[in-house]
Amino acid sequence: MLQCPYVTSYLTEHFANDEFGTLEGYERFGGYTAARKALTEMSPADLIELVQTSGLQGRGGAGFSMGMKWSFMPKDSDRPKYLVCNADESEPGSFKDRIMLERGAHQMLEGILIAAWATGASMTFIYIRGEYSHPADCVERAVAEAYAKGYLGDNVMGTGFSHDVRVTRGAGAYICGEETGLLESLEGKKGQPRKKPPFPAQYGAFGMPTTVNNVETYSHVPHIVNNGIDWFRAFGTDKSPGTTVFGVSGHVARPGLYELPLGTPLAEIVFEHAGGVPGGRKVKGVIPGGMSMPILPAGQLDVPMANEFLRERKTMLGTGGIMVMDETTCMVRVASVISYFFRDESCGQCTQCREGTGWMNKIVDRIERGAGEQSDLDVLLDVAGKMEASTICAFADAAAWPIQGLLRHFSEDFAAHIGARKCPFPESFEL
Amino acid sequence: MAKITVDGNEIEVEEGRTILQALDDSGLLMNGIDIPHYCWHPKLAVDGSCRLCQVEVEGIPKLQIACDTQVKDGMVVTTANERVRRAREGVMELLLVNHPLDCPICDQAGECKLQDYAYEYGVDASRTREPRRALKKRVDLGPTIVFDQERCILCRRCVRFCREIPKTGELAVFNRGDHSVIDTFPGEELNNDYSMNVADICPVGALTTKDFRFKIRVWFLEDVPGICTGCSTGCNVHLGVANNKVYRYVPRRNDEVNETWICDKGRMSYREIGSADRLDRCSVRNHEGRFESTSLDAAVEASAARLAKLVESKGAGVIAGIASAHATTEDLFVFRRFLAALGSETSGVAVVRGDSDDILVREEKAPNAAGARAIGFADAKGVVDRINSGGVDAVVMLGHDALNESLLGGADALRGLDTVVVLDTHASELQHVAHVMFPVRHAAEKHGLLVNAEGRAQRVEPAVEPAWEAYSDGEVLAKIGAALGLEGFDGRFDVHEVSRELARSNLAFSGIDLDTVGAAGQPLATVVADSPATGGEPR
Repeated sequence: MLQCPYVTSYLTEHFANDEFGTLEGYERFGGYTAARKALTEMSPADLIELVQTSGLQGRGGAGFSMGMKWSFMPKDSDRPKYLVCNADESEPGSFKDRIMLERGAHQMLEGILIAAWATGASMTFIYIRGEYSHPADCVERAVAEAYAKGYLGDNVMGTGFSHDVRVTRGAGAYICGEETGLLESLEGKKGQPRKKPPFPAQYGAFGMPTTVNNVETYSHVPHIVNNGIDWFRAFGTDKSPGTTVFGVSGHVARPGLYELPLGTPLAEIVFEHAGGVPGGRKVKGVIPGGMSMPILPAGQLDVPMANEFLRERKTMLGTGGIMVMDETTCMVRVASVISYFFRDESCGQCTQCREGTGWMNKIVDRIERGAGEQSDLDVLLDVAGKMEASTICAFADAAAWPIQGLLRHFSEDFAAHIGARKCPFPESFEL
Repeated sequence: MAKITVDGNEIEVEEGRTILQALDDSGLLMNGIDIPHYCWHPKLAVDGSCRLCQVEVEGIPKLQIACDTQVKDGMVVTTANERVRRAREGVMELLLVNHPLDCPICDQAGECKLQDYAYEYGVDASRTREPRRALKKRVDLGPTIVFDQERCILCRRCVRFCREIPKTGELAVFNRGDHSVIDTFPGEELNNDYSMNVADICPVGALTTKDFRFKIRVWFLEDVPGICTGCSTGCNVHLGVANNKVYRYVPRRNDEVNETWICDKGRMSYREIGSADRLDRCSVRNHEGRFESTSLDAAVEASAARLAKLVESKGAGVIAGIASAHATTEDLFVFRRFLAALGSETSGVAVVRGDSDDILVREEKAPNAAGARAIGFADAKGVVDRINSGGVDAVVMLGHDALNESLLGGADALRGLDTVVVLDTHASELQHVAHVMFPVRHAAEKHGLLVNAEGRAQRVEPAVEPAWEAYSDGEVLAKIGAALGLEGFDGRFDVHEVSRELARSNLAFSGIDLDTVGAAGQPLATVVADSPATGGEPR
C-alpha cells in the first residue's frame, strides 16, 4: 500500500486514519456536509460562480479553470449530461491520484456529487487505469456505501436530484488519460483522441455533453463549498490558489507525497521536505511535473511551483510529479527513456507524432550508443519543433517538450557523448 | 451561404462546409488552389490525422487543417505562404522517414500521391540515418487485395471506406504509434462487393488489386472515359488502355451516378472486352446446315433474302425483334426504325436481372435498359410468349440476353424457326440455332449513348479498336434495311446523325446530342426510368 503523505493539508489531513475511507468515518470528519449544503442551499449557477471565483485549476496536468469547464456545459439540454472523473493517472512520475482514490474516495465522490448538481449531470463515469486494482476496489466500495446511504442514485439526500456513478477500468494506455482518448476508451473503442471541435461539453461520452475532471480537482470542491473562497485563496498564489499533492521521486532521501500550497519553491520541496539527494551528491536536474514537462537544471530550483512562475522557465506544473536526478545521471539516457516512452505510447493517428516520436527515439539512442553526430542535435530540435502545436491532441507537444528541455539545459551531456563516441557515464541501468 | 477568400479567390459556399469541401464543391481543389491531402477523401468521413492540409486562417494563431475547419463568412485563408510550405515540408519529411522508397518495384509509381507530393512539397534530401521500419511486404488481405505494410502511410482511408460504404468494417489499425499497421481482424479477410475501391483510394502503393498488380506500368496507360456495362447504374469509369488492350477499369468521379466508387463485379467486367469468346467474323448457315464464315456483304445478303422471302410468303407479322440493353441508344433507334419499316409488330428488349444492393448495384444487368424503353421497346416477355405459341417464324436478335431463364430459357426455343439473325458481341448457344451471325462492337469500341436507370444519358467512345471483324449494330441493320429496300435505309450509318435524328423525333431525347453530352452525362428530357433500381431519385 502507498504511504500516506509526509506533509498534509486539508485534502490529505485524515488520510492516515483508516476510518476516513469509510462513509461513516468520513461523515464523522464532516464529510458530505458540503454536498448537502450545495444540493439544498445553492443553485447550480451559484456553484459554478463559486468554483470559478475560487480560481481552482485542474490538477490533471493542463491547469484549466474547473469552474470555466463547468460553465461550458449546455444549460438547457434535453440530452443527458455526463461527468467523467479522470483517474487514469498515467503520467510517469505521478502517483498522487492513487492515494486520493485509496484513502479519500468519499471526498472525491462528494466533489463529484457537487459537480453533478452544478452541471446538471445525470451520471458520472470514474475511469480508473487498469493497473490500479486496489484503488478501484476502494472506490467501488465507497460508491456502494454512498448508494446504500442514499447519497447516490435516485433522490439524493431526499432532494429529488438523481445521480449515478459507474466505475470503469482502463486497459493501460497513456493516451487514455487524454480526455477524448479516455472518452473513446470509455465507449469501448481504441483509445485515440478525438479531433476538436466538437469539444466534450458538446459531444462527449457516448455523444452527450460531458465534463472531464481529475480526481484531485474534484476532491478540492467540498472544501471550497464548506469554507468559502477567501479560505481557499489563502492557500497558494494569487493566480494558482489552493494546495496540491506533490509526488516526489528519484534521487531524494524521502520520496513520497507532500501536500503543499501551490507556489512552494521547488528547492523547499526537494531539499527540506524530501530531504535532498542522499549520499552527499548534488542535484543535476529536476522534472517539475511529470515526464512530459521540460526539466529544470539545479540552478533553477528557486522557482515557486505554480504555472505562472514555471512558464517563465519554459516548463509547467503538469501533474506535480517531481522527479529528482543527481549528478550521476546521464541526461542522454534520460532522453532515451523519455523518448522511448512517448514512441511506445503515441496512438499513431497523426503523422508528426507517430513518425516524430520514433525518429527522435532512434536519434537519441544512437547518440547514447556513441554513434551520434553534431548535426543530430539540430535534427532533434527541428523534429521536436515540427511536432509542436500541429496535431489532434497535445501528446506530440508532451513528447517534444522534455527533449527540448534536456537539449536546452544539458547540451554538454549530448556533446560529451558525441565527442567521446560513447556514453561517459557509468552504466547505471540497461536501456 | 458564406463568402470566404482563399489565396485571393472569393468563393461562395454553403455554411457548415469545411475549407476542403468548399474548394472541392467549387472545383478549385487541386485545380487552381492546391492543398495537398492524404487522409481526406471527398466521400469519406473527416479523419484529420495526416495533418498535410494545414493552412493559415486569418485571426487564428495556429495553422489549421483545411479538412476539418468549417468555413465562416468572411474567412480569409492562405494556402501558399512560407509558413504553410514549411509545415507541409515537415509532414512530408516525417511521412518518408519510414517509407521504403521502393518506387522502382512499386506498382503505384506514376500515380502515387506520395511521389507527387514529395516532388511538389518535399525536400530533396533525406536527413534520416536510422533504419526504416521492416514490415510485411505481401499480406494477402482477401480474394482481391494485396497489402504492403511498409508503404502504408496510415491515412486510414481504407479503414473508413470499409466502415462507411459497404459497411463491412473488415479493416482496422492494430497496435499504436510507429508500430501501427492496418490489417483485418484475426481469421477474417477483406471480402466485400466493393473491396477493390480501397486500392483506388490508397494514395500510395500499399493496397493493390491482385487483378491489375504488375500487369503494366501506369504511365503506359491512356485513361479513356467510359461507362461500366455491368448493370443499369452505368458507373463512370476510366478505361486504362495500352497496346489496343483494356487493362483495367477505375471509377471516374461522377457525383450524380457513382460518386467515386464502382463494385468489384463491374470493375472486373472490363475483361469481356477482349475476351477469347468474342465473335470475330460473319457467319452464315449453309445448305448442309453447317455454319461457315463469310463476308459482311454476303451475310447481309443472306439475311435480307431470308427475311424478304418470309415477308412475301407470310407477311412481316411473323418477324419479331429482340433488342439488347447492351446496345447503344443509336443502335437501338436504328433497330426500332428497321422493325417499323419492315412491318414487324412484335418486339421487346431482353434484360437479365440479378442481385442488387443499396449502394450501386442494380437489378438490371445491362447499361441501357432505360434507353431501350425510352425508344419504345417493351419487355421481351411478350415476344417470348409469341415465339412459344408458334406465332413467329423469324427473329432478329441483338445480343443473347433473351436466352436467360426468365425469357427463352435457352436456344432450343428458337430451333424450329425459319430464320434467326443474330448481332452479338460474344459467342453463345445461339450459334446452334442462328442462320446468320454478325460480330458487333462492345460499348468500349464505339461512339454512342447509354441511358442509366435514373434516366441519365452517358456517352461512350472507342477506347480500343477490335483486332477482328466488328460492326456497330446500327451499321449492320442499315445495310440489311437497304438490301431489303426499306424506306429510309440507304445502307449508311452515321452515329452522330442518328443521334440528332433521335433527338428530333423522340421527346425524351430532345436536346440530347451525342456530340455535346458532357463527361457527367445529361438527364433525359422526360424521365422514363421504369427503374427497379434502388437508391437515388431520378434527376
